[in-house]
Amino acid sequence: MDHQESKEVQEELPDSWWIKVYVAVVVTMILVISLLGYFSYHFSS
Amino acid sequence: MTLLDWAVIAAYLAYVIWDGIRMTKNSGNAEGYFLANRSLPWWAVGLSVMATQMSAITLVGTTGQAYSDGMRFVQFYYGLPIAMIILCVTLVPFFHRANVFTAYEYLERRFDAKTRALTSFFFLISRGLAIGVIISAPSIVLSIVLGWNLTLTIFAIGLSTTVYTMFGGVQAVTWTDVKQMVIIFVGLGVCLTIIIMSLPTDVSVGDGLRLAGSLGKLNTIETSFDLKEKYTIWSGIFGSLFLFLSYFGCDQSQVQRFLTAKSVSEGRTSLLMSAFLKIPMQFGILFIGVMVFVFYQFNQPPMLFNNVNDSKITDKGKLVQLQDQYTKDYESRKTAAMQLVENKPGGREAYVAAQKKLDGTKKEAVDFVKKEANDSSYSDVNYVFPTFVLENMPMGVIGLIIAAIFAAAMSSIAAELNALATASTIDFYKRFFKPNASDREYVTFGRIATLVWGLFCCVAAIYASNLGSLIEVINKFGSFFYGSLLGVFVLAIGVKRARSRGAFWGLLFGIASVWVASHYTEIEFLWFNVVGCVVTVVAGYLISLTVTDSDSGETAPA
Repeated sequence: MDHQESKEVQEELPDSWWIKVYVAVVVTMILVISLLGYFSYHFSS
Repeated sequence: MTLLDWAVIAAYLAYVIWDGIRMTKNSGNAEGYFLANRSLPWWAVGLSVMATQMSAITLVGTTGQAYSDGMRFVQFYYGLPIAMIILCVTLVPFFHRANVFTAYEYLERRFDAKTRALTSFFFLISRGLAIGVIISAPSIVLSIVLGWNLTLTIFAIGLSTTVYTMFGGVQAVTWTDVKQMVIIFVGLGVCLTIIIMSLPTDVSVGDGLRLAGSLGKLNTIETSFDLKEKYTIWSGIFGSLFLFLSYFGCDQSQVQRFLTAKSVSEGRTSLLMSAFLKIPMQFGILFIGVMVFVFYQFNQPPMLFNNVNDSKITDKGKLVQLQDQYTKDYESRKTAAMQLVENKPGGREAYVAAQKKLDGTKKEAVDFVKKEANDSSYSDVNYVFPTFVLENMPMGVIGLIIAAIFAAAMSSIAAELNALATASTIDFYKRFFKPNASDREYVTFGRIATLVWGLFCCVAAIYASNLGSLIEVINKFGSFFYGSLLGVFVLAIGVKRARSRGAFWGLLFGIASVWVASHYTEIEFLWFNVVGCVVTVVAGYLISLTVTDSDSGETAPA
């Protein structure tokens, strides 16, 4: 299998799309840290 | 180890070297060799970013740390998603559009050749020495646990990686990283499954976690604001934020990863893959360490996992006495653990007390070995996981997990070697010696540089293995560099008034301030990155104010 990809002109995604992605990253991060906190609390109490 | 285990390791090494070397045909020109013609898909780059960051000592040390200290270490990664967002907004589009080969190349366009050469030089020195440690740390552990020759282990890891990196360039690095990540995930997944299946039939995973939790080993959030405490949510979010901004944004070994992506969008997505996956992945690795701890609740663990000093102990009688005491303490703890699992009244208190007694005996044994062997740095944290694997995993799985440890080491080493060769070629050879050479000449020089750096790192690894404290020295040296380097890029991109004199001297002031902080304060190393960055930016800005545009011939960037 040849992994070399042909170089094409790539269309960049608009900023409004990226803002939604960044918000999703922050929300996921808060959710993951909260779940980890709950995990610690649940098994430690 | 059985013949099957050896066969698995040999097959892994042969496949990776072959897979890397066959990328040679795609690496004929400089852009192909150093940047894969900027053609790689986001998922391959994303996996390569994660593989580069995860070295073997991360894999082996993290599981050992979870076994002995619990899951507090996961907090170290809490700042990573924010760092990735900041980099996606700032540096990723910036470097892509600047069409650079190295991060430091941009600094010449913004400031001058002196600032570029200084930052690239710091990168070469710090990463060159760091790879020595990246090779030596797992080699020492594997050679002691498996009885292998240390020098041969170092060269098996270091030279096999050098060979495929030298021929295949960045494409070999990226595509072998992808496969190595698969091997690591499969190896760890099989290991976790076998641990869970090895628990007594009347003990569930939940029961095991309750045991670990009652000792505070599942603590993932520490809210105290103490600068002397290594892992808290604050050092994780703020201290690590600066470290990750610098590592992913200013260290060529990571910048080169996203420069190989097809577009700005693909480069961003590759970094955001880590933002989503890194914390759960580190949690998973720590979880395996905790499950090893749970496994040893019902199977007696070795009193000392690291037996390197056995031959230096003269008072064998004392060691036997400690071992007998340890066995008694283990039996008491096992009984207490079952009482807690069965929810008997007072079970938790009895279990915590029994664990404390067992820990006390172990500490006494460690102190005894330190004293007898005159080895104050003696520790067995990094030996827990390999010893556990060797003693408890079935035939074939041992080979798979050793191959996964090799994969973790080689994926980091390959990316670092490739980055060292790129910086040597582009920032020094091309810039100062042969600015108009042909593409073929740059690729040839890049291959020679990879070989030279590979040999240098193997020799550095042999040297590092004889000087335990060198690891600490190099880690501190890395911390001196990272925050200050980030400060130079902040000046370059975020401070219009910054000038080359300010950037150059700001960098040196930043490094000096970290040196002062490390010698005259007790703050933990994660905060060095904050200190270095802030001092570099402030000093660089103030010095820049003393420069007028007519003095320097520079103008503010548009």
